[in-house]
Formats: sequence, structure tokens, C-alpha cells
Amino acid sequence: MADTKEMKSVLFGPVLANNPIALQVLGICSALAVTSSLKNALIMSIALTLVTAFSSFFISIIRNQIPSSVRIIVQMTIIASLVIVVDQVLQAFSYATAKELSVFVGLIITNCIVMGRAEAYAMKSPPVMSFLDGIGNGLGYSVVLLTVGFIRELFGKGSLFGVEIIPLVQDGGWYQPMGLLILPPSAFFIIGLFIWVLRTYKKDQVEAKG
Amino acid sequence: MSSNNESIGKTLSVVVALCLVCAIIVSFASVQLRPLQQANKTQDIQKNILAAAGIDVSGSVSETFKAKIETRLVNMETGESQTGEAVQAKIDAFDFEKSKFDQKISFALKAEGIKDIAGIQRMTHESPAYISKKADGSTDAIILPIQGYGLWGIMYGFLALESDGETIKDINFYKHGETPGLGGEIQNPQWTAKWGGKELPIDVVKSGAKNDHQIDGLSGATLTSNGVDHTVDFWTGENGFGPFLARVREGALK
Repeated sequence: MADTKEMKSVLFGPVLANNPIALQVLGICSALAVTSSLKNALIMSIALTLVTAFSSFFISIIRNQIPSSVRIIVQMTIIASLVIVVDQVLQAFSYATAKELSVFVGLIITNCIVMGRAEAYAMKSPPVMSFLDGIGNGLGYSVVLLTVGFIRELFGKGSLFGVEIIPLVQDGGWYQPMGLLILPPSAFFIIGLFIWVLRTYKKDQVEAKG
Repeated sequence: MSSNNESIGKTLSVVVALCLVCAIIVSFASVQLRPLQQANKTQDIQKNILAAAGIDVSGSVSETFKAKIETRLVNMETGESQTGEAVQAKIDAFDFEKSKFDQKISFALKAEGIKDIAGIQRMTHESPAYISKKADGSTDAIILPIQGYGLWGIMYGFLALESDGETIKDINFYKHGETPGLGGEIQNPQWTAKWGGKELPIDVVKSGAKNDHQIDGLSGATLTSNGVDHTVDFWTGENGFGPFLARVREGALK
């Protein structure tokens, strides 16, 4: 069993020091698509964190049995099954959100973070550590998603979680919302700025000039 | 990883076992959750019908729907409509997205020589329409399911008419893929509020609606606005609910 220090670094390392989106630049596509409102970003974060954690866990359990010739297929099967279950649960218990997230829940299957962690970590590590690694990377993804979702919803729609924060001009207030922020490309700018800020603060993330 | 993992027998058995386990989990989740999902879907449609009719839902959606809304099955060609036990099964089985692809109950517009202005390609011979009732049993509003092509895909919604079959009460799109912030504003209550009190036939214009037949389009979403225009024209026209509305105007529902 690994010591607590290692557990901590596996769990919290990916949040800022080794963030899957900001440093590894994985999983960008969904970060663009589902962050126009904070609620969607939150649900997507939870879904992805659960899928990453449990897929890493299950893959790690059977890692010594998986023939390396078919390992990617085996990983995909496990991930896909989990995603379908998550999708079904969402449709049953949170229909409105499932409708808004629509295809993006299914696309967790192709999210590079899930696959990346399964291949890079879970295939070599014991189940509990893999589970924590999944949670950690999910958290890293969530941090970026929630930040982007926060900025996009607040300045694009004047609300947070659908609750009005800044009164909009069209509702008789003073704030003219930034239309660009509702559209997916704005997430690129915000993620770019996020990476910039992160690298100013953590200089070791800057690649050496070749 | 030990080398005996790589034998064909081992590979096959791992794959087969994994597939079995995953298949069982997925089918279990799917079967167990299906009733809940189905109920959610029905409730979502009912909620939108009630919203189009302008009925506030306090408490259960399905109870309110049952109490306030009468569902009629309309024959699109003749405009005759039926309600009650005889057609309830057909109404329950109806799906606004899928039924038009069921060969037995639908047809292709092209094959019938109908101009497909709404871009829907196929439609059903019969369609449900919803009548909301006042307390005294008279008709309050007629809610017609409509669908048509916007900019990115089919937009699904409901058009509510006053009991005269001419005046628009409300319009409500519940499913669409229009650009958020631009075409997606077809869901904005401020825009749909402009529809109330207008009269058929409707024309969605660029700006400066002059009379009761014109509605300001959405700025930055000309193609979506055109789509809405064509959708409403089609469904209230002779190939849509036109014959039904003609009967309503003659007093068929009274």
C-alpha cells in the first residue's frame, strides 16, 4: 500500500501542477462544448471524474490479465460501458441536463483524459492508486471546466447556475452581455488565458526554448 | 505482465468474459432505468404543451395535463379529429421525432407532390393536437405540434392558438440545435412574447413588424427566423393543420 504522501500527490497533483487540460492539453473538445453554463460544466465534470476514476479502477484490477495485444480494446470496452451507464442514469434522474449535454456525455468515451490515464497509469498501478489518480485528473479537468463555465456564464449571460447576477440590458438592467462568450470559440481564449496565468505562477511548466 | 497472457486462448477468454460482464451491466442499467426515462420524456413533452397553453404547473405535470388538456388525433388530410379510448393507443405511441419515419403511418412529402417548405421530408397521416379547456369545458387554446428545419437541424415545438383558430397565443420550441445566443433565442420568452395576439398567416420579417401578421425576426439569425416562418406557414397551411383549423373556425370543437 502506498503511503499517504504519494496518495496526496496522485490526487492533487493533476489539479494545478500537472493539469490534464492546461499542461497535457487533453480533453479540450468537451471543454469547449459544455462550458456555456456553469451547471452543465459541473455535471460534465462529475460525470467525467466518475468515469475516469472507475474505469481506471476496473482496468487496474484486471491489468495483470489483459493481453497487451488487445489492451486498448479492453480499455475502451470498460470505458464505453461506464459512459453508457452514466448516460442512462442522467437520462433517468436529470432529464433536462441530459438533454442539454446530449451527445457530449457519450463523447466522454473519446475523451483523451480517460483513455490517457487508463493507458499511462492504471495499466501499471494498483487499483486504489488508479482510482485516486482518476479522481485527481477528473478534479484537474473540473477546475478548468468550472473556471471557464464561470466566466462564460457570468459575462455571457449575466447569471450563475441560471440565477441572475448582473441585470441584462434586455431585461431592463445595465449589462450588455458578450455574445462571443456564449459561443464555443471563447472557451479557447479563456483556456489560453488560464494556461498563461498558470505558467506565470508555476514557471517550471514553461517548455525550454529549443 | 506474464507471457502466458499473450496466448490466443487467454486473449479470447479475457475478451469474451469482459464483453459478457459489460453487456450484462449495460443492459441491466438500460432495462432498469427505461421506465423512468420514458416517464421523463413524456413529462417533458407535456410540460412544453402546458407551457404553450399558458397553464402554470403547480404540482404534478401529468396530473395537470390530464385535468386541463384534451388530446385529439387529427386526420391531416380531412381535418377530422377524434378523442377518447379509441385513439388513445395511437396517441400514446406517437413520437414527434420518430413516428414520421414509420412507413405504415407516414408518407414522403415529395411522393405526394407537396412542397416541403419546412424541410421535414416526411410527415404522418395523423397527428395529435392538444386542446386546453377552460373551467366550463369550452376551448381555451389549441396547441399544435410543429417541426421544421432551422439553420442546423429540425426544430421541434408547439404553436398555441386561441379558440378562434386564427389568433396566436404562444409559440414554444423545446428541442432544436440552433446557435446559442443567436438562433437559440427562439426559446427566449422575450421573443416568443411577441407572438401573442398575432394572427395567421404569419410572416417573420427582418425588423419593424407593421401589422398583426408580421413578427420581428431574430437579429443575427435570419436563417433560423426563416425556418420558423416556414415551419409555422407549413403547419397552419393546407398540408399541415389547415383542414383541422378550418373545421375549428366552423365550430367543430364547440
